Amino acid sequence: MSVPLTLTVNGVAYPLEVEPGTTLLRAVREHVGLTGAKEGCDDSECGACMMLLDSRPVNACSYLALQAEGRAVTTVEGLAADGGLSPLQEAFLEHGGVQCGFCTPGMLISATALLAKHPRPSEEEVRIGLSGNLCRCTGYDGIVKAVLTVAAAGK
Amino acid sequence: MTTATFIRPDGKEKVTGSGRYTADLNLTGQLHAKLRYADHTHARIVAIDTTKARALPGVLAVLTHEDVPDVRYGIMVKDRRLFAKERVRFEADVVAAVAALTPELATEAAALIEVEYEPLPAVSEIETAASDGAPLIHEEWASYEGDDEMGRDGNVLGYSTIVKGDAAAALAAADVVVKGRYLVDASQGAPIEPRAILAQWQGDRVTVWSSTQVPFAARSGVAHVLQIPESNVRVIVPLLGGGFGSKCDFHFEGHVAALARAAGRPVKLVFTREEEFVAPDHRREGMVIELESGARSDGTIVARRGRLVLDGGAYCGEGGFFAQLAAMHACGPYELENVDVSSTLVYTNNQPSGSIRAPTAPQVCWAVEQHTDELAEALGLDPVELRRRTLLGEGSVSPTGQVFGKLGIKQTLERAVELIGADGTPAEGEAVGVACGWWPSFGVPSGAYVKLNGDGTGTIVTGAQENGSGAVMGLPLLVAEELGMQPGDFSILYQDTDAGPWDMGSSGSQTTFNNGRAVVEAAREVRDKLLDLAAEKLEVAREDLRLADGAVSIVGAPDRSVSIAELAGEGTAILGKGSGAVPENPPAEPGEGCLGRLGMESFLEPQLFTHAVRVKVDRETGVVRVLQVAAAHDSGTIVNRIGADGQVYGGVVMGIGQALSERTEFDDQGRQRNPHLLDYKLATASDVPRIDVNWIENPAENGGPQGSKGVGEPPSVPTAGAIGNAIAKVIGARVRELPMTPERVWAAGS
Repeated sequence: MSVPLTLTVNGVAYPLEVEPGTTLLRAVREHVGLTGAKEGCDDSECGACMMLLDSRPVNACSYLALQAEGRAVTTVEGLAADGGLSPLQEAFLEHGGVQCGFCTPGMLISATALLAKHPRPSEEEVRIGLSGNLCRCTGYDGIVKAVLTVAAAGK
Repeated sequence: MTTATFIRPDGKEKVTGSGRYTADLNLTGQLHAKLRYADHTHARIVAIDTTKARALPGVLAVLTHEDVPDVRYGIMVKDRRLFAKERVRFEADVVAAVAALTPELATEAAALIEVEYEPLPAVSEIETAASDGAPLIHEEWASYEGDDEMGRDGNVLGYSTIVKGDAAAALAAADVVVKGRYLVDASQGAPIEPRAILAQWQGDRVTVWSSTQVPFAARSGVAHVLQIPESNVRVIVPLLGGGFGSKCDFHFEGHVAALARAAGRPVKLVFTREEEFVAPDHRREGMVIELESGARSDGTIVARRGRLVLDGGAYCGEGGFFAQLAAMHACGPYELENVDVSSTLVYTNNQPSGSIRAPTAPQVCWAVEQHTDELAEALGLDPVELRRRTLLGEGSVSPTGQVFGKLGIKQTLERAVELIGADGTPAEGEAVGVACGWWPSFGVPSGAYVKLNGDGTGTIVTGAQENGSGAVMGLPLLVAEELGMQPGDFSILYQDTDAGPWDMGSSGSQTTFNNGRAVVEAAREVRDKLLDLAAEKLEVAREDLRLADGAVSIVGAPDRSVSIAELAGEGTAILGKGSGAVPENPPAEPGEGCLGRLGMESFLEPQLFTHAVRVKVDRETGVVRVLQVAAAHDSGTIVNRIGADGQVYGGVVMGIGQALSERTEFDDQGRQRNPHLLDYKLATASDVPRIDVNWIENPAENGGPQGSKGVGEPPSVPTAGAIGNAIAKVIGARVRELPMTPERVWAAGS
């Protein structure tokens, strides 16, 4: 049986009706229609589905949509306004942090949360901070460089 | 052109989340598919009853072998049907497929299909499958249509030998002889995107959106299994979320197209992570590798004997050449006076093997490079010094009779050793290891069009497939250079079989090598047309014109010029096409062996490489940490530096995973015990160090554009061997099983 729910994603309130068991990931991808967050494992192992929930990164595949009611959900689509790019998004491109791009949305969410909490992380802290996000293409090199570059610029 | 910072054209859509991957697409009226897999890894099918599934409300199609043409498919051996008919041969053999209104209904219906089996003995262990009297995986193997060069015989799917001189006599006379037996577990490509397929019929034509690395192979597969013309099939690949080989070959497009036709509606299939582990006919093959080498006291390797058995799994797929390729890697890039290597690819009841990034190479290289260090130890030589003395060089002749030109392998060795800084006494528990390897470039046909648009920009229309590496994204660099334009002036129309010319797809590190030549040829035709048009317009001879900075101008009178936009804006079609001449494989001599002409008997413009690693081993726990990697590669001229570097970073990390943690475990029936990312461990950002990449840029004479070779596969090849050699230095013993898990390292060192 569906239940009503208002989900606030990237600052927009969406009135939805979902089954109680619907995950946050499915609600955002299928009901809201934002497909930036990806399903890589449905098991909290890969991090491709990460979203910010009140600034805290969560694996949206393992989080119920109902638990997100009344909270601010941010997806990769909400990281920059007006068609621009955030400093992290720019840096990912400049440093080769993007290849196939499937992990990128979750990786950007994770990196955004990391820098919000630790504006000047060491390389080790960046690597540990991103260890919940699997990337199979880049060897993490460009991603780590991008995060460190943005941190150093203090943007 | 080496471009240090080049923003890939598909970058913005990828960082903003607006790019569409196959699973992100939905069509009006779309149904959801679920496959029903085998309940046994080896069994005869007695009966299939779909009554209950068909009766479930919301189910619009249920298909079995009875509903599709009775044909077998397979690129090298036609040994598989779309739906299993008499037998199932591994845990994810497809028995039936369902299309229903929701994914949940499809799953429920698939489970309602009743299949009666007569179980047969299953064979999971490689050497058992190869032994006399083993149950036949394919009783009717002899009747299959297949490549005659493979040497098929019962459970033997492929057999290849390399024989040169008299290895037995040379071993008997050698100053030192070392022997080793190495065992390799299966592993996976494990792209982060589980595959997805969406099919829609319009009249007699079907459009299939698929996360495939090989859209043209997918197209021909769909046409074959449904017995329809290829021109009735269009395959489009939205953004592809990685593949690493696992999305090569025709896989599940046929099932989804058949469901969509039966239901009269678009049908979408999205794999779970577990399906992505168990169902594709692509995973890295397990192996048994036995090596024996003899040397004179000066280090000359007088003989190598090798016996390899590879797990081909339940079906051939496109992996029929693996025995030969493994035999080539058992020789490696070394001078060997006498050789006797045999390599056997066997059917088992495990998931089928298929190309995963440099198939066979990381495993065999891991064994051969540890074996080489063992030989050095027996000789009392430094392992690097032994390699200096024995690696191939200009004028060397390979065991298959290939004569080499300039080879950068020794340069990669020196560079990697220099970068790792091997001097001085290593810290407690630390050591440096080195491994070398080789991998061919693949010359195959390819094609592209380049057209200019009225505003002076251009569009590259190519059959090439982007897997994430950036190989297709780098094509504008090559075209822009030919046309005096900027890379950003070009859009790319790609991954649509109705648009671009045929291409082998994202496999064999071949995109820049082959499609690069094609786009350059196409661009040159455009250049010719521009110069002709400008000559007419400026009323001068063509020879007096130069094309640069977006305009054609007269040499010596730069103020007299006409812009490309002006020439292209006049309505004349300015279109170039190209294929480029495909370089031929160098000649090889079969010698006395059963070489098999499968295309791997010689290595066209071999990519050559050395990795040096520094590791720390905790002897108490067996846990290995890689502290530093230096990767030196000869891939000819590098045309897209950021893309090429990215291949090495990613390949090394995949290599670290293969070395230490990645392992698909099969039970005795051939079922995967760890088909999920919790127990199949990929390396994370915190598991790996920073990596130093260095390129030895010897332009390839017979190579791709600007003297390039392939790039993408080799970086994952030598890492495990280098790590193995470093571990052995710390613990004073060899770890002879891959991956070198903490338990295995601890046991070897205890």
